[in-house]
Amino acid sequence: MELFGTHNSAQLMQLAKDLFAEERQEKKILNGWFLSREIAADASEGRDLNEEEKAALELEAVIDRLPLEISPNAIFAGTQRDAFAASYALINPAFEVESFKGYCDPLEVYDYATPAGEVTAERISKMRERAADSDYVRDLARVYENCRQYTGEVAYFVEQVTGHLIPDFRRALRVGVGALLIEIDEKLPTLDAQHAESLRSMRRALACALRLAKRYAALAYGLAEKSEGPERERYRLIERTLAHVPEFGARSLYEAMQSYLLLWQVMCLEQAPNPFAFSVGNADRIFEPYRAADNLTREQAAALFSHFLVFFNVGERSWAISQNVLIGGRDVQGNDLTNPMSYAILDAYFEMNFPQPILSVKLHKDTPEQLYREMGRFFFTPGCLTPSIFNDDSLFETLRENGVEDADLPDYAVAGCQEPLIMGKDAGNTTNSWLNLAKILELTLTGGRSMISGEEIGPQSSRTALDTFKNLKSLFYENLRFFAEQMACSANGASIALSHLRVPFLSCFMGGLDTAVDCRDPGEQGTKYNGSGCLIHGLSVVSDSFVAVNHLVSKHPEQAENLLNALICNFEGYEALHEYLKKCPKFGNNDPEADAEAVELAHNVSELVKGLKNYLGNPFRPDWSTPSTHLLYGYWVGATPDGRTAREMLNYGVDPLFGDATNGLGLRTLSTMKLPFEMFNGGVASHFGIDPKYFTAQTLEERGVQFRDRIIRPLFFNPLNEHRAPFYLYVNVTTPETLRKLLENPKKYAPSGVYIMRIHGTFVNFLDLSPAIQQDIIRRLDPMSTCC
Amino acid sequence: MEIRVFQQGFNYSQDGPGNRLVYHLSGCNLCCPWCSNPEGLDMDGGMAYTVDELVRSALSCRMMFFDGGGVTLTGGEVTVQLDAVKELLTGLKAGGVHTALETNGVNARLPELFALTDYLIMDCKHYDTQKHRAVTGASNRLTHENIALAVAADKHPAVRIPLIGTFNAAPEDAEGFAGLFVRLGMNSDNSSVELLPYHEFGREKYEKLSLPYTMTEQARIPSEMLRSFTETLRAAGLNVIHT
Repeated sequence: MELFGTHNSAQLMQLAKDLFAEERQEKKILNGWFLSREIAADASEGRDLNEEEKAALELEAVIDRLPLEISPNAIFAGTQRDAFAASYALINPAFEVESFKGYCDPLEVYDYATPAGEVTAERISKMRERAADSDYVRDLARVYENCRQYTGEVAYFVEQVTGHLIPDFRRALRVGVGALLIEIDEKLPTLDAQHAESLRSMRRALACALRLAKRYAALAYGLAEKSEGPERERYRLIERTLAHVPEFGARSLYEAMQSYLLLWQVMCLEQAPNPFAFSVGNADRIFEPYRAADNLTREQAAALFSHFLVFFNVGERSWAISQNVLIGGRDVQGNDLTNPMSYAILDAYFEMNFPQPILSVKLHKDTPEQLYREMGRFFFTPGCLTPSIFNDDSLFETLRENGVEDADLPDYAVAGCQEPLIMGKDAGNTTNSWLNLAKILELTLTGGRSMISGEEIGPQSSRTALDTFKNLKSLFYENLRFFAEQMACSANGASIALSHLRVPFLSCFMGGLDTAVDCRDPGEQGTKYNGSGCLIHGLSVVSDSFVAVNHLVSKHPEQAENLLNALICNFEGYEALHEYLKKCPKFGNNDPEADAEAVELAHNVSELVKGLKNYLGNPFRPDWSTPSTHLLYGYWVGATPDGRTAREMLNYGVDPLFGDATNGLGLRTLSTMKLPFEMFNGGVASHFGIDPKYFTAQTLEERGVQFRDRIIRPLFFNPLNEHRAPFYLYVNVTTPETLRKLLENPKKYAPSGVYIMRIHGTFVNFLDLSPAIQQDIIRRLDPMSTCC
Repeated sequence: MEIRVFQQGFNYSQDGPGNRLVYHLSGCNLCCPWCSNPEGLDMDGGMAYTVDELVRSALSCRMMFFDGGGVTLTGGEVTVQLDAVKELLTGLKAGGVHTALETNGVNARLPELFALTDYLIMDCKHYDTQKHRAVTGASNRLTHENIALAVAADKHPAVRIPLIGTFNAAPEDAEGFAGLFVRLGMNSDNSSVELLPYHEFGREKYEKLSLPYTMTEQARIPSEMLRSFTETLRAAGLNVIHT
């Protein structure tokens, strides 16, 4: 590979670090997305086009006119910077738990366009008005208007899902976009008029990758003329490379990565400003054939991959959040699929320690020990990123039982935080709906009146307190069905509203070249698998509440009225009753009663969610994860019978509520393992905050093996477990004291300004987080969890 | 039969082999001022369970007994509830669970538990009976006798010395412990010795319980002292371990 004729691996790694520093420190104004929207609107204004044609035409205009640049530190052309706004809540310092609004305003992003240079406030304002005048915005506003009474205090929530998919670029890398265009031309005459029109739009969108390559090649040529030395060589290489890819098949790892990044750039521009959470998929398998053909060493492959990683970091806070890179895993027969590229990718991640993209590792019972040894450095180096961990053995079974064909199972990857999807074949619409069991419990207890605002929400009733408590579960499920059906209706409305914004480029990599159907088409399924996600909140809060109510009512029925009053008063004046409720059995302590209640609730709710139909008639997928929304939604829930106070957070994912699993990680693990993971095909989230002292070995590698033996094997691959094993975990191996010191003195403990921590499915620079999220991470660590 | 437990949870390697479910039983027959679990001193503290409940609960944890783990009973002092402990260990053994017991040995009936215990941990706080009584409130004659009986019964006891400055950690004390252990029949093949330097883990608990915490900085053990203690014991032919 000629790049290594002029640069060694260490020099390339240093260039990647310089490129990252440039991206973060220059505080570039992220207005590219605004320009792209304006160019798009100009291009289609006054034209009578169908939605797919319009999308393709607009994309073409954006690709032709958007200003481009190539940094002197870059070895690849391309950026996704122009597709993102600096707006993502989690890492926005202005974010507050109280700021939840109950709707997604598609125009709010214009608040994040910055008047600068030729982008005036007037232009921003005008563009905002043009964007408002669209079927998409009007239809979405109608959806939110119709469900406002339910989403305002989050009995449920819905959103239009952009990004959040896993394109399959493998064939495009291998044969080149040019070959795909020829195939489209051959297929077009065989199609009916409607499908032919759709495929023609995909062709036009796909060709944008070639237009972009040509523009970058011309730019590189000009830059080469003005530079000298290694910099000049790099620009020349970029120019020569773009003459070949993505039009033709990649012949080397370098070409494959360059091709991949340009495809990614076009895909993101098509969805600007919201292409969050696209996933690379199983990166080691995508790139290993090219590394092998090139005969690159692990060190060389890692050096190239470090530049691949920089690409995913946008702006001073790495705003392009939740983009996933996966390694490891197995095939259907159980053979391990870890390869030399897997280890090169780990090296690049460790060396760079960037806040994005997310690293996830797929494990199975026969994962080689080497992989655990090499992960040790991530878990046990303070401030270093840590991978999410997936259990292929368990997830294969769960996906198979939910309709995924055997041949597709190894191709599952993760989009967003932890949602399992099949690369290129699964339009999972993952974060479409959000269900708040705790709020629905509150409304059940009060007969439909919010304890927070006093508003009447949903079905109203006027039972006595004792009657309500005696029939609590059946009343809850009755209420739940009502809200879940409303939610599905609203969520489908949001999906249909979004379908006005077709995605012909993305569709080429989501089955569209076979079906000639856009993957957002609400009338015909363009992708092999399709569903809609439902993120379910409040498992242990509600199940522990059922247990507490049962204890109280069976032993002290005279207290029923008091209990309702106590909840409404947030336990003020009812301290003795509060203590009683807090001492009732809680999920997470291997208590048979509390655990059985949680299992039953998880089962029943999952079944109910699976029974809901999405806009194409496919089932919703239960996803028991709460990506920081356990804070937001908890803020809108009054006191609950488990003893949780009003506005306090809900439990995270399937974990017990903070402070309720008082007997440590071992017993908590046993409780978790009882849950019906076979029902959770939309995903599940669980976090262990582990004291580093639990791992006693001398070297990082040996501690990696201890991590396998003491955490992963008991949880994922336990030979005595007769149930479906958990299939997702993220960990933070640190102590609250360490993080508090870091916040007090960041310059001392994180001189680089970057200290990576895990937060649900993603990792982030802890120092970039809003204060509420920082405190949530600290509270959910448990330094005494592993000793007794 | 009922048994009172004030704390439970898993611990790895320090309370016997592998990952272990540890039950801390209520009540103690000593009053060591450095105790890290003062909440366990009260016989009536903690929660009452039937032995059957605890056996069922322990068996339900089998999935977490990895690396040769099982159940460890500790305290407080387990022999304060000896009859219930005997029944509990019987139930655990019947269920095929590896059992460990941590005791101060101040109970004449301790040998009744030997056959039910796979791993025996015995605290030996002093070689001198008078000094032991003066600080802990009881004689340690039975402790010494029981160590000898455990060795003779081939129980390979893991003997632990809490090393406390001003109490038992002077250079001459090392000789005293070494002499005692040799007299009790201990050697590197039939037992082990572990030194547990003083720590302050219990301090906050005393404050919460409104109990006076009387330990001072003088209780801390310099690392040099730990090394020389270890050398003296090893020179006497004893197997000094660190878990």
